[in-house]
Amino acid sequence: MFQRAVNYDLPWDAAAFEAVDESQRWILTAMRRHGHELVTMLWRILGNEQDVCDAYQTTFLRLAHHEDGLKPRWVKAYLFRTASNAAISMLRQRIVERKALSGVEPAAVDTQDIEFDIDVKHLTESLRCHVAQLPEHLRSVIMLRDFGEQSYGEVARILGISVGTARVYRCKAVQLLATWMNKEADR
Amino acid sequence: MKSLIHRFHVARASRPRIAGRMPATHASQEGKPAPGECRKIRGRLADSVARRLGPQAPWVQRHVAHCPRCQKRLAAWGKVDLALSMIKSQPHRLDLLMRANAAAVRMLNHSLREAARSQELEQARPESCFLDRLNRYRNPITNVAACLAILLLTKTGIFSSFDKVHSRGQTALKQYYTTQVGEDMAKDVFGV
Repeated sequence: MFQRAVNYDLPWDAAAFEAVDESQRWILTAMRRHGHELVTMLWRILGNEQDVCDAYQTTFLRLAHHEDGLKPRWVKAYLFRTASNAAISMLRQRIVERKALSGVEPAAVDTQDIEFDIDVKHLTESLRCHVAQLPEHLRSVIMLRDFGEQSYGEVARILGISVGTARVYRCKAVQLLATWMNKEADR
Repeated sequence: MKSLIHRFHVARASRPRIAGRMPATHASQEGKPAPGECRKIRGRLADSVARRLGPQAPWVQRHVAHCPRCQKRLAAWGKVDLALSMIKSQPHRLDLLMRANAAAVRMLNHSLREAARSQELEQARPESCFLDRLNRYRNPITNVAACLAILLLTKTGIFSSFDKVHSRGQTALKQYYTTQVGEDMAKDVFGV
């Protein structure tokens, strides 16, 4: 399916290859249908355009490789879960890199506007870090509900849980995030 | 306080189960609830619970006013909400979808890459939903609707006034004829 050398020795090989291509057009349809929502979710999780492109690419790569090119039962659920997993891996990697570079302190700033910008950036980055540390079941709900802007019904369907459970998980996730952010502020 | 607020959220979360039991008591004549009744009840229940047990409830506010621990906790929730809103409000470049699509399409095989649809995807830009697009025309549409409503009301008013004037005039004439030429003649002239 992917960039690989294909040797058409026999005419029926070429025909079979074309048939595979034809049967995988649904990937483009999925990209057209869910691309915008996915990009929005990835942007909110990662906050970096290059990372968004990478995570998006990884997501569709995995979709195309899913069980030898078979279409998943529910493409949207597969895409959203894969994208959020890819994004969280990247986010964790970024956190590790940042910790390694934590010796480098940012330069002091003078103007209030810049201070405000830094506060906003610090707040959002801190939330992203804490989201990455949440247990998986809580994190998935926050990602789909708040970053992906899916309804509770959709979140429940994607994760295979009830709507009530999705609401409870979101509430628990917010409580946990608040506790962690509080502790961070106390330090 | 924490446990009460937690109970409130759990109560909200289990709303559908509560609402699921409600239709039996609010059943309509056919034994089935009217469409939308469950949703209405759920909404009312949620509002009622939020008023009595939510963070805005007066007894919670009174407690928070004197409890530094709860103040801190609520402030932390506010901080999470603020951070989430900030993340949501950060815009990305318009061509991000286009670039992401292009990057993903590059990984597909040649024939998929060359398909017309892939090329469309590589040019794709985020589009707002239909309702958002309609929002731009909300004011003109509201104005036109208001004008039409005024026109309709005016027309209805004018015609009903004409009818009223006509019937009153006829009654007055009938009364005049009755007094002047007698009831029989008046009946002959006016029919009834």
